[in-house]
Amino acid sequence: MFEMNTAEPMQVDVPPEDNENNETECYVVENPTLDLETYAASYTGFAKLYRLMFVADHCPSLRLEALKMAISYVMTTYNVSLYQTLHKKLAEAVASAGLPDVAVQMGSQDIPVLDSMWIESKTKKAAIKLEKLDTDLKNYKTNSIKESIRRGHDDLGDHYLDCGDLTSALKCYSRARDYCTSGKHIIMMCLNVVKVSVYLQNWAHVLNYVSKAEGTPDFNEVPGKDSNQSILTRLKCAAGLAELATKKYKSAAKHFLAASIDHCDYPELLSSNNVAIYGGLCALATFDRSELQKQVIVSSSFKLFLELEPQLRDIIFKFYESKYASCLRLLDEIRDNLMLDMYLAPHLNSLYMQIRNRALIQYFSPYLSADMRLMAAAFNRTVNALEDELMLLILDGQIQARIDSHNKILYAKDVDQRSTTFERSLAMGKEYQRRTSMLILRAAMLKNQIHVKNVGRDTGPQSGEAPGSSTSLTPRTFDTVPL
Amino acid sequence: MASPLEQFVDNVRTMSASGSFRELCEVIGKSDEVLQRNTAHLSTVLETLDIQQHSLGVLAVLVAKFSLQQGADVDKSTMFKQIHDFITNCNGEQVRFSPELYAELCHQLTNYLVEIKQPIRGIEILKKAIRKIQLFDSQLTSIHADLCQLCLLSKCLKPALEFLDTDVTGIGSELGGNNDSKHFLLYYYYGGMIYTAMKNYDRALYFFEVVVTVPAMVVSHIMLEAYKKYILVSFILHGKILPMPKYASQVVCRFLKPLSAAYHELATSQHAAIKHRDTFIRDKNMGLVNQVLSSMYKKNIQRLTKTFLTLSLSDVAARVQLTGPSQAESYILNMIEEGEIYAMINQKDGMVVFLDSPEKYASPETLCVLEQQMAACTKLHQYIQEMDEQIQVNPQYIKKSVGSHDEDIPATSQNSKTTYSM
Repeated sequence: MFEMNTAEPMQVDVPPEDNENNETECYVVENPTLDLETYAASYTGFAKLYRLMFVADHCPSLRLEALKMAISYVMTTYNVSLYQTLHKKLAEAVASAGLPDVAVQMGSQDIPVLDSMWIESKTKKAAIKLEKLDTDLKNYKTNSIKESIRRGHDDLGDHYLDCGDLTSALKCYSRARDYCTSGKHIIMMCLNVVKVSVYLQNWAHVLNYVSKAEGTPDFNEVPGKDSNQSILTRLKCAAGLAELATKKYKSAAKHFLAASIDHCDYPELLSSNNVAIYGGLCALATFDRSELQKQVIVSSSFKLFLELEPQLRDIIFKFYESKYASCLRLLDEIRDNLMLDMYLAPHLNSLYMQIRNRALIQYFSPYLSADMRLMAAAFNRTVNALEDELMLLILDGQIQARIDSHNKILYAKDVDQRSTTFERSLAMGKEYQRRTSMLILRAAMLKNQIHVKNVGRDTGPQSGEAPGSSTSLTPRTFDTVPL
Repeated sequence: MASPLEQFVDNVRTMSASGSFRELCEVIGKSDEVLQRNTAHLSTVLETLDIQQHSLGVLAVLVAKFSLQQGADVDKSTMFKQIHDFITNCNGEQVRFSPELYAELCHQLTNYLVEIKQPIRGIEILKKAIRKIQLFDSQLTSIHADLCQLCLLSKCLKPALEFLDTDVTGIGSELGGNNDSKHFLLYYYYGGMIYTAMKNYDRALYFFEVVVTVPAMVVSHIMLEAYKKYILVSFILHGKILPMPKYASQVVCRFLKPLSAAYHELATSQHAAIKHRDTFIRDKNMGLVNQVLSSMYKKNIQRLTKTFLTLSLSDVAARVQLTGPSQAESYILNMIEEGEIYAMINQKDGMVVFLDSPEKYASPETLCVLEQQMAACTKLHQYIQEMDEQIQVNPQYIKKSVGSHDEDIPATSQNSKTTYSM
């Protein structure tokens, strides 16, 4: 556990995220039971495009359909470059689908062709609109009416987003910040920035702006209770997504659980089904039994979310009822569909792993000793595989037990608090002495200005291990360590 | 006798009599050349001076005499005896005015003994020499390194331990300042090697760590060798490479790792030991590498004791990647004898039963150990407090901390900003 915590700060940055995506690029989902039509209908904007592209990349059987839908959707925007990329992908997909297939005949009928006229007219229109918005903004600026300038920036940002230029959109939205006059405006600005940052997968930025929005002084006084709730839900969803992407599953779960179903209307980022799945899985992987019961199972608001995903609801209930075998089997059943979710897919393996481990821990928790043969049956595993799994958990300190490999029995280990306290305090004392004497020595070293430097010779420090006068003498006449 | 030499002798006599040793040191520093030129007469000069009364003079003459003897081996036979006499009889207070020369003499003796391959003869003298020049027990001098070298060469390690076991709190002036750090690095490098040979790995790791964390502008070969051993010892002790402390110099971190890639590979691959065999043999670290390998097996067996109550010998062998049950049995047997694990082997059905540590921390011995440890901690804490107090009363420190306040109070807000930025 400690190791994980220390590793985390390193992984918050964006680059590792990219690696993650690259790694998962290669897998292929064969038999999804996904209804692409309804799936796509729950999103708008980039969320829809990105998700469709993700499906197209990872699922050959749905590739053509996904690409077609994406293309027809992208036609409604100004995003010309994405239109071209999608067409290129489509061409590749058609080529690789193979000739003898029926898909070709079918495809030749309704596969959209690259419409150069459309490209041209859209590019022109986009340029004109950009120019108009630009001059408008300039006019507002000369008149220096704050509210108009802010709107001008927002409009420009919207337009850039429509054209697919995310970085410029982000710039415009953030520029509006200087012209915000009320708390409501600040929150709107934050929401815009959060949205674009999610598209850019800049998670640190997302969290930053979510907390900024929540910290806005009159956040709670925004007129209209309803709009307030929906803003809160949006912020929670975005924060949850960011935490999920940075592998902080527990806080992700907490964020998702705080969303409210009546106000969960955020098609630019995710659907209510997503909230249910993300929140449910993260909670299952990180919450202990009582947390799971209080915050998920009896939670009136999240219950409604779970109704959207009956399979997941069953999984959580089975888990809570300690029916691990069926719980794990159900989890495996929905696995394929989940692998097609662009935000969840990179984390699915580790989430499943954590859920499994949690199940093992919970299974054993009431026992003093447990028969491993029965345990293996409950988890669909061979006894030996189970033994390996248990060994890792014990070494990790997650299960306090020892394995009797001879009789295949797992015994709970009673930890002698007194002895461990003695052990730890002695170790701590040793560590303190070691560090302190090192400190004293170092103080003496600095006081006497001892440091390794070049004496005599002029080889600069750039030569790496520069052979200063102190260096070349090491081997001297002997080197045999009497061992 | 040539007049400059006579003058030197005169100077030594009058100044030693009047007790103005500081001036005498300066005179000696200048008359280096005179002594070097008149090598033939140095023995006569020695006869005219008294070791006890004119220690500084004798020291200068001896150093001059032996620094020249590269080619001629005439007087070498007397060298040991003369230095021995000098160190036993000289006046400690006098020689402390010129620790550099004193250390130089010891280095000469060491080199001579290494050359004639009789290192063991020097150990007692150097011990005496160190005690004579030290102001307090925990002061480090450059002679320490010589002593460790001789101990290592003569494979007689125990005499060095009394020095190695005392944690250094002060450093002799001849080690610091503008002199190079060779002897400082060497002391800790040799010390680490001695502890490694004594199988006191904890302490050895500490010593190697000191070497690699010395402030550095360039990387010394001593540091590189120490770093290699640091890795190996850290493997033996902890089963993994401990990260370098944050305060290690940047150059060191940057250059040491790529230069010791073979050692780093030990952590990741089992075959690294065979693959880089030549490197390890060339570095003369093969013995340690072999110890690392066997300690890996032991570490893995120790992990098993945490997870299993019973395990068959063949399972042990499979999990620890030993060749077979018999090898596993011999490892476990050895470990039980060494007290590294608590277990019983049942030969009838080939099972190992792992037991808990019988230590209950209830015996008077435990209490005694605990009290000792606590006393040691308190002592260190007190020392740190003393150091803190010394800094508090340091005129320079007071001047700096009070001075900035003085400027602050009358200054306007703008001015105070500039003083901070300074």
